[in-house]
Amino acid sequence: MLKKEQNDYLCQTNPGTPMGNLFRCYWLPALLSEELPEPDCPPVRVKLMGERLLAFRDSEGKLGLIDEFCAHRGVSLWFGRNEECGLRCPYHGWKYDVNGQCTDVPSEPAESGYAKKIKLKSYPLIEQGGVLWTYMGDPEKQPPLPEFEFSTVPLNQTFMTKRLQECNWLQAMEGGIDSSHVSFLHRGDLSNDPLFKGAGGNKYNMQDLSPVFEVVESDGGLLIGARRNAEDNQYYWRITPWVMPCYTGVPPRGDHPIHGHFWVPIDDESCWAWSYDYHPTRALTEGELAAMKDGKGIHVKYVPGTYIPLANKTNDYLMDRAGQKAGKTFSGIEGIGMQDASLQESMGPICDRTKENLVGTDNGIIMARHRLMRAARALAEKGTIPPGVNPEHHKVRQAALLLPRDVQYKDGAKEALVARKGVRQTSV
Amino acid sequence: MQSESARMTTAHEASYRVQYPNSKPRAVKVIALDPASAEIVDEISKKSWNGAAFFTAPAFSTEETPGATGSGLKAWLKDLAGRTMDLVSEIEHCDFAVVITTAGADARAVSVIADACALYHKSLVGLVVPGSDDSDAAMAESMKHLRPYTRMLVIASGTDYIEAMLTALRA
Repeated sequence: MLKKEQNDYLCQTNPGTPMGNLFRCYWLPALLSEELPEPDCPPVRVKLMGERLLAFRDSEGKLGLIDEFCAHRGVSLWFGRNEECGLRCPYHGWKYDVNGQCTDVPSEPAESGYAKKIKLKSYPLIEQGGVLWTYMGDPEKQPPLPEFEFSTVPLNQTFMTKRLQECNWLQAMEGGIDSSHVSFLHRGDLSNDPLFKGAGGNKYNMQDLSPVFEVVESDGGLLIGARRNAEDNQYYWRITPWVMPCYTGVPPRGDHPIHGHFWVPIDDESCWAWSYDYHPTRALTEGELAAMKDGKGIHVKYVPGTYIPLANKTNDYLMDRAGQKAGKTFSGIEGIGMQDASLQESMGPICDRTKENLVGTDNGIIMARHRLMRAARALAEKGTIPPGVNPEHHKVRQAALLLPRDVQYKDGAKEALVARKGVRQTSV
Repeated sequence: MQSESARMTTAHEASYRVQYPNSKPRAVKVIALDPASAEIVDEISKKSWNGAAFFTAPAFSTEETPGATGSGLKAWLKDLAGRTMDLVSEIEHCDFAVVITTAGADARAVSVIADACALYHKSLVGLVVPGSDDSDAAMAESMKHLRPYTRMLVIASGTDYIEAMLTALRA
């Protein structure tokens, strides 16, 4: 349960809000590289944390993320012409470079220097791992580039998608650290989904439906361990990392690619659910890529030409009551991603946490909220750089392993929880 | 025609959610397992709670045979006023229990509390907070005691989390 003012504090990320300021300390995924595939390609509208922006790749391949609206009469530059190293407004021809600097005001003599006095707000946009990342904070405090393993392995080892989720970022992110829902909502997918099935560890999930949890604070966020009974006096551990503010990893299964998410606020009532799959030591197979593109695993099928899930609230998520009754799915919704999204969107655009009734096994969620509020307050009051900004905090890996019952997972899985180049994931 | 889900997930529709309470107050027993955590619990108990009761766990004993469980279990708690309370009765009348220990302290009392929780099918949450010894070995020792008995074990970096957790759980 949260008080209303606490809920508002955590959910609101527009400019000037405490959580908005916190988010603006980090590099965040803004677009897929495929959205700006080549120089002078069409610009793309982007809204992040309540700011309407426009992304484009200029004639030299340079990336820009600028205020969407022309400084002259306020029209959207999405209608602009991306040509000759700049974006030209189609209304009166004002032109901007990737830094938002106006370079041409045709109605004024070039010699007047008028254009130099016009500059749109801009944010850095860099390309890494098939993702275009932005940093929307104070330029003087720009941190080093992110070093999440999924975005630093060779491109043939990683795959990323994004989908629109029509609810506040926090209720979406909390799903990523809520390990206890897996045994209900996603049961069935362990044996059917091509990106999950066949792993040796799956049997422990199926045999023991009452996992026991341990939550440990890490430098960058949390480690949430779920343990189940296994043979030979061992526990089967699945360890979920959360890196502040909005990165979550899903523990691996067998030699399947590792997956996880970023949950990036668009505004207070919608977010981008980013979903990655990668393998630390090998290229993804054609079969794996085909499954991911087909919406299997944590990915989804799209409304053609968009990043809107094909199953969405306008069609009741393609609810299949017969399949639900027959046990094909637990909720009647197909696919892990939409099973989560459908329920999280059903909470309403911003979940009212004053009415919730948490239990002890929700401590991962309680701790994450606590750490977010603590970090936002420390940033506001003392300027403290929050956890998760340091790229060293990104080098965490999710893990699934068997450990003797008397071994603490933080120790027994110490090496497994660190991303190491060329070393396979620890998985069962 | 607009779908039911599309209509019902708007902010406007959220305003029609019924405003009646959806739960009753829970009885939560918060038990400090060692002297250092007793001081922390004493401080937290001074805040306003919805029915949480705070205790310390002195050395436990069983009335009939050491290690007895079930109906033979007899053990005592102290409330913060120093009164002796019957552990089994307290657990019987609670909704769930929380045990708190500081890293490296003697947390063996948890086993008796866990027996009482098992007797009445109550969940037990364990919380380890920093103590005078912040070494990994001290933390491991505390976790070794708590792990077999708790459904949720939390290792927090500060004591402020205790209050945050109890508030979140409507304690």
